[in-house]
Amino acid sequence: MNDKLTSKQLSKKITDEYMEDAFHAHDNGKLIGYTTAISPVEIFVAHDIVPIYPENHAVANLTAKKGVELCSVVEGMGYTNHLCAYARSDLGYRKTGVTVTRGIPDADLFLACNAQCFTLTKWFQVLARQGGQPVFVFDTPEHVMNKKAREEIVKYCVLQLKELIAFLEEKTKKKFDYDRLKEVMKYSAASSILYKEFLDMAQYKPSPISIFDALIGMAIAVYRRGTQECVDYYQTLVNEIQAKVDQGIGVLPKDQEKYRLYWENLPVWFKFSDHAKMLGSYGGVILTSLYVHAWSFEFDLNKDPLVTLAENYVNRFSNSTIEDRADMATDLFKKYSMNGMIMFMNRSCKAVSFAVPTLKDILTKRTGIPALVFESDMGDQRFYAESQVRTRIEAYFETLDRLGLAQKTAAA
Amino acid sequence: MWESLNLKDVVALARDPYPSIRQWARDTGKKVVGSTIADVPEEVIYAFDLLPVTILGTHKPLKKAPSHLPDNACSLARSNLELALSYEGDLFSGFVLPQVCDTTQHLSDIWRINFPDKYVESYLAPRQADRPSARYWVKEEIERLIASLGEWTGKTLTNEALTASILIHNENKRLLAELYEIKKKNPGTITNKQFFAMMKLSLQVDKAEFNKSLKSIKDGLKLKKGKGYTDVILVGITCDPPEIFDIFDELKLNIVGDTLVDGTRYLRGAPSLNGDLIDAMADRHFHRGFFSPIHDDVFKNFEEVKKLYKETKAKAIIYVHIEFCESQEYDLPDLKNLIKKEGIPMHVLDTEYQTTSLSHVLTRAQAFFESLKGGSL
Ligand code: SF4
Ligand code: SF4
Repeated sequence: MNDKLTSKQLSKKITDEYMEDAFHAHDNGKLIGYTTAISPVEIFVAHDIVPIYPENHAVANLTAKKGVELCSVVEGMGYTNHLCAYARSDLGYRKTGVTVTRGIPDADLFLACNAQCFTLTKWFQVLARQGGQPVFVFDTPEHVMNKKAREEIVKYCVLQLKELIAFLEEKTKKKFDYDRLKEVMKYSAASSILYKEFLDMAQYKPSPISIFDALIGMAIAVYRRGTQECVDYYQTLVNEIQAKVDQGIGVLPKDQEKYRLYWENLPVWFKFSDHAKMLGSYGGVILTSLYVHAWSFEFDLNKDPLVTLAENYVNRFSNSTIEDRADMATDLFKKYSMNGMIMFMNRSCKAVSFAVPTLKDILTKRTGIPALVFESDMGDQRFYAESQVRTRIEAYFETLDRLGLAQKTAAA
Repeated sequence: MWESLNLKDVVALARDPYPSIRQWARDTGKKVVGSTIADVPEEVIYAFDLLPVTILGTHKPLKKAPSHLPDNACSLARSNLELALSYEGDLFSGFVLPQVCDTTQHLSDIWRINFPDKYVESYLAPRQADRPSARYWVKEEIERLIASLGEWTGKTLTNEALTASILIHNENKRLLAELYEIKKKNPGTITNKQFFAMMKLSLQVDKAEFNKSLKSIKDGLKLKKGKGYTDVILVGITCDPPEIFDIFDELKLNIVGDTLVDGTRYLRGAPSLNGDLIDAMADRHFHRGFFSPIHDDVFKNFEEVKKLYKETKAKAIIYVHIEFCESQEYDLPDLKNLIKKEGIPMHVLDTEYQTTSLSHVLTRAQAFFESLKGGSL
């Protein structure tokens, strides 16, 4: 039935239906569970809890440049201006109701997984105090580089997933269905493979996708994984991009694709399309980041679902050591033949940014490619200095030109 | 080295204990292991015949840390890293670094990468404390630390060594608690600065030796009630620079209770010696007080603070906020409201390691306590 829809149409349809379902969750006897973008949401899906990601809602508002308005409100409530802009804008939305979407329904319960960051745990706690709902913290210790420790971490996480299931059973007065979880895991595993296939298409020259496509394309993986429609969406997307590859269509034409760039961190949401245009004018296209790969799970369906869930969620880049992050990024450099890197120090996101200076040192040493480092905020325009960023980007491309790092295939 | 110190020596050493630790390491030939706060079971490190030293920042200027950790990282983390990178790194043979928040998670990585030739182990504290799995995990981590230290030192930890270590640590806590009681009732006897210097030094030097100093200090005290003191509660993680205590002393504030990690929370961490020692160390994790990165329950924190306020009949609460500490910053507005609603006067102190000028702290605190006395709050 979905055959005729493009990925864009399909994405809209899935999103609309999902939000509709969310707004009518209580009518249908379902609970709303707020959760972190990186969290074992498969458990929610299997138990018919509707997952809501306040981060996604925050992205919509920050992209629409509502950051300053919403964050200022929260600062007036006594929160400091250097907390994550997702959290600040969300707390501002709670206070004012201001949003560029139809908003999100309130939570019945919270699941905070700190494999992504600890901020979300604290942010959810603030929300939970306002509404009196329970918070379940799925605590994922850092995926340290020690085999024995990793085994123990997985055991600890499996224990917690069992506690999570018991917690949900208690809240819903409904027995958890492990067979249903297995089914959900099948969808998650399949869509994750397709999602990765989609991201990896950036290895073609010219690349048919940029990180901006990846950022748009990742939304369904974030909020609909564990469903058949998520699998369908990525199959459609992969087919579409493959068709571009077959026709040699790139984000930039092949003879103009000079710089294939790595981006570290989340995007500057309110500068999303500006950055794409600006970089394109220098023959640059950002291909990927560790961030978009965070949803490339590799679930092993032959294992106990709780074990493979635990293993996958603890080893996300955001919960990995800087050395492991550097290895992951180096692999991407090789695989996608990248010749430049933009390292964004995002004031909002300490969880990603505090690794950046060290990561930059390791990556520049390993690849011999200089890095452009710039500091700003992903959602709060007050921390963005337009002319400074422009000058830095210009100077960076001059450096790359001077070093003769441009792709041989490019015209210039 | 640390067995016959008087209060004046303690204050001086607490400001910079490192030359003496250096000398001690040379004299004894023992290795020094650094940790940051909180919750690393120092008894275990000590039982391996190593000296556990809790690193609590440096007052020397930041040189290298800013290029590793940006300025929106908490000053405690940056200051600790600076101490290791620029000033005292060579003193330590190894580090056991606890992870409680995003900052400490990165800090451990940065630290390890910068000290490739040293022993660096992470202690992965649970960031939830209300479910059975948390207890399982604390025990697991203690056991992993024992195995890791065993591998590094080539030694096996015996029950006797661990018992002896716990005894020394518990004795330290007992002596400090006794001194605290004396100070609370007789603020003219021991100043805030002196008392918290004893606390701090306890976390940094050989307790077997320092306990002797504490005992003789205690025995030699001439009790003085003192006049005109205002009793207060200190709430937070840690309080630095030590000159803040001078301000408290100048304003004649008497700290009669606290929730600091290097204060009462440390004192409450004495494991029982009846039964399995590892179990006892795991248990104590849950008897310690509130610590914002670990607990989600600000209401519980509020109840704890309220109870302390009532029990001690204090006049006000001083909340010590460490600039850029997210854990505190997400909790603070609600905690503040709860405390305000209860009608308890509260003053928030914004602190930063490496701060040299404290005049604004003094002015603000002065204004707060003047209005408190004037009853115009
Ligand atoms: S942007 Fe960073 S700090 Fe904010 S919610 Fe996402 S991972 Fe956490
Ligand atoms: S808990 Fe706060 S003070 Fe402690 S290291 Fe983390 S951010 Fe810094």
